[in-house]
Amino acid sequence: MNALLETGARTWRETRKTFKILSRNKMGLLGFIGVIVIVFLSFGGPFIWPPETSANIADINQGISDRHWLGTDFQGQDNLRKVINGGKDIVTIAFLTGIIATLIAVTVGSFSAFIGGRVDSVLMELVNIWLTIPKFPLLAVLATVLKLNDIVTLSILIAMLDWPGLSRQVRSQVLSLKRRDYIEAATMLDLGAPHIVFREILPNMMSFIAISMIFTMTHAIYQQTGLVFLGIVPYSSANWGVMISAAERRAVLYNPQATWSILAPMGAIVLFQLALVSFARSLDEVFNPRLRTSV
Amino acid sequence: MAVTATVSTTTPRSFIWLEKIANNFLLRRLVKAFFTIWIVTTLTFFIVRAMPGNAVDILIQDLTAAGMSADDARNQAASLLSINLNQPAHEQYLEYLANMVRGDFGKSYKSRGLKVADMIAAVLPWTLFSVGLSLLITFLLGVGLGALMAYKRDTWIDHLLSNLAATLDAVSPYLIGLLAILTLSVTWKIVPIQETRGALSPGIQPEFSLEFFADVFMHVKMLLLVYVLSSVGSWMLRMKSNTVSVLGEDYVTVAKARGLPDTRILTAYVGRNATLPLFTLLAISIGYVVGGSILLERLFTYRGVGFLLGDAIASRDYPVMQGVFLIMTVAVVFANLLADYLYGWLDPRIRISGGGQ
Amino acid sequence: MQPTLSVQNLSIEYQARRGRVQAIRNVSFEVHRGEALALIGESGSGKTTLGLGIVQLLPSTAKITQGKALYRRDTLTLDALTLQGKALREFRWKECAMVFQSALNALNPVLRIADQFGDTAKAHGYLQGRALQERAEQLLRMVRLDPERVWKSFPHELSGGMRQRVLIALGLLLEPQLLILDEPTTALDILTQRNIMDVLKELRAKLDFALIFISHDLSLAAELADRVATVYAGKIVEIADVATTFQDPHHPYTIGLINAVPTLRGAKEDLTSIPGSPPDLIELPPGCKFHPRCPLADYRCREQEPELEPIKPGHAVACWQWRSARAAMEKFRS
Repeated sequence: MNALLETGARTWRETRKTFKILSRNKMGLLGFIGVIVIVFLSFGGPFIWPPETSANIADINQGISDRHWLGTDFQGQDNLRKVINGGKDIVTIAFLTGIIATLIAVTVGSFSAFIGGRVDSVLMELVNIWLTIPKFPLLAVLATVLKLNDIVTLSILIAMLDWPGLSRQVRSQVLSLKRRDYIEAATMLDLGAPHIVFREILPNMMSFIAISMIFTMTHAIYQQTGLVFLGIVPYSSANWGVMISAAERRAVLYNPQATWSILAPMGAIVLFQLALVSFARSLDEVFNPRLRTSV
Repeated sequence: MAVTATVSTTTPRSFIWLEKIANNFLLRRLVKAFFTIWIVTTLTFFIVRAMPGNAVDILIQDLTAAGMSADDARNQAASLLSINLNQPAHEQYLEYLANMVRGDFGKSYKSRGLKVADMIAAVLPWTLFSVGLSLLITFLLGVGLGALMAYKRDTWIDHLLSNLAATLDAVSPYLIGLLAILTLSVTWKIVPIQETRGALSPGIQPEFSLEFFADVFMHVKMLLLVYVLSSVGSWMLRMKSNTVSVLGEDYVTVAKARGLPDTRILTAYVGRNATLPLFTLLAISIGYVVGGSILLERLFTYRGVGFLLGDAIASRDYPVMQGVFLIMTVAVVFANLLADYLYGWLDPRIRISGGGQ
Repeated sequence: MQPTLSVQNLSIEYQARRGRVQAIRNVSFEVHRGEALALIGESGSGKTTLGLGIVQLLPSTAKITQGKALYRRDTLTLDALTLQGKALREFRWKECAMVFQSALNALNPVLRIADQFGDTAKAHGYLQGRALQERAEQLLRMVRLDPERVWKSFPHELSGGMRQRVLIALGLLLEPQLLILDEPTTALDILTQRNIMDVLKELRAKLDFALIFISHDLSLAAELADRVATVYAGKIVEIADVATTFQDPHHPYTIGLINAVPTLRGAKEDLTSIPGSPPDLIELPPGCKFHPRCPLADYRCREQEPELEPIKPGHAVACWQWRSARAAMEKFRS
């Protein structure tokens, strides 16, 4: 219990230090603010701008105007309002998948690195094999057979397919940390594996874990919007993926007047992915000195 | 010489053979490739046959719902999937494996009577062609631009390319595809979208003629562009970071001290050593591009295996889904094997020691 | 006879985040044909920078602020520091070869030794094919390697000592007039080190090049060099022939270094280390840079920096106390 508290305190200190350094990195800060804004709008926005319930025949496929900042769709509904109301699923799946995949990957990866020997090599060989299987087709087939319809199960499924690659990276990180002097000292003092993992290794890997989690999140966004595009996971709610595929199905793509109803949700997804990645990249730049711009 | 002589006198012959297999890089990779295919085939069997809510059950339900009697539906489903439902599970599994080895993936459920293997064979060349070509272009472009970024580190060109690469890497391939259509076909009208539909125009015969190749290119160009754009970013970033670290290696400094010409240092010393680690990334990249083909071939109506899988998924055509998924995996695994062999051939450390980590 | 290399008033700086690193300060020395000069000093004293500076391989943050490095062969005279493009490329290795500290990683891992010789020869329009191989085999034998074993090998198939000897053979390929060896035996075990030193001594006897031997190890310098230059904080503080350096040193730092070397005959108690550590090259102390560690320092040492002054023919010292240094240091030890 005490060890856990200590870990918490150390993680908090590390996180604060991270943000201090990050605030000097413009792209990273922009990305971080972007993520916060999108999350806030997706969860808070619907209370302020609830979804429109009826079609608005007079305003079908409008361009951008004072009244409709991002134009209107084939039902004459405001695109901006739809975008605000359509983010919750995607944001939830991204975070859920990121968290689940990272948890599994960290557990398996550090376990493998610590046990070493035969268990380690078998585990990593299996992970290598897993990496060569084309994941998206497998996901598509599985999602079809399982007839998925709720976001939690979908997140779990995507996470189950995504963790192995991550665990390989975690393993090599743990291995390189394990060789550092202070960890070797802790091992010699026989402080016990939980102590070493929670107090010495994990706090030093927080930035790495955060980066990996963010990349898993963007990947999850790609996969789940892809599934929507293929028509495998129809949602009742109109999320960004559904908006795109609905617009695409109505050949909006080829109707210059209606372009905004596809650009709006696309922009939302792209912004979310870019914000996540620029945040992660700046974390990477800060913590991976080799890529740092000047010596 | 002396070492081998002592070994052969103390170790039995059969053991040496096993050792040789275990230590032979190429052979080990081949064994691993087949092992991977076996795992995926088995996985597919479970998805299709054994999982709760598996394909067979769903197919039977669908057929019954379409007005078939329960027994007929069962027989029909079994024959479509080339499965004998009356056998015990392990025998079904063995027979299934034998069928897969023979290339018998059953018959399509929607396109009645068509063999899945034939359907795949008709479209597979187009996917192999488009994915293969795009991987080649992406690799060359990524390596070239990545090295340029490293050489011009911290100049405007590096900043520009790095940000571009990071952006392309972040955005989903099919969003890039949508954007390409929106800009090139709808807004600027440079590429009429109708002309890229399908893999060939009607009436064009595969032959060794300019007309044929021009038509092939016309149909594949948008797809190619999007494949390249969506994966070149990560190659560029990796190549940059590899080149930066190789530029710091002693052998590069020594090569300069040896008075070697810059071009020789760039190619044989920096380029080759920075590119080598990229081959291990091919595995992930190939899978990624092939996975993306489901969405992109559909977006550009390019009739390859990705399009076929998308179609099969939309119509819940399980035999086709199973067949296409297996073929995709086999293709990716063999492409990886090829990449591994290429790597082994280019890196002497792997070639001789056989230790491939 | 004209010296092969004469370095005159050379200063080199690095630009670091904290400020300018004064790695080499106003250094002058000469090396003649057939002569070996050892540059001795603690790590971080700027020895390696000096070597890299002569072949213009300093990192981009470094800048040569003043000085010349005149290289002479027959009637040709050129300043190695101002060479550019093709002339620089030709100067490197053909005129001046440099064997680096970390030989383990000095050869391209993906090319066979034969190709690395071929590359070097081709870059300088030297022998090719069969003739090259014969010449290389002769050199490899000279560094006590079996050409049959080495010629077709990749670097990773050779041990560290073998790689270092391959690099030395490669360094001699174009018959350079000047060879710079930067810590050629560090990172190698003691037996391999011995072997390389023997090889180098043999080469010195057989061939007629000027050698600059950079090392922190006094005993190695004693074995190989004709003259020894002691480097402290980027400056030569004493230069003399090898016998004088060891028997009659006049700079307290040289005396300290020699006292810190264990000898088989000397008693353990006689060993003394120099207190303190080398100075920060960004914020150098005023006056003599050695004064914070020098037991003999007085007010003048703390304020004025002594220049290298000849005290005898072929022996120069930069110390205010050089007359009394030896006796005082002896007294101080006991």
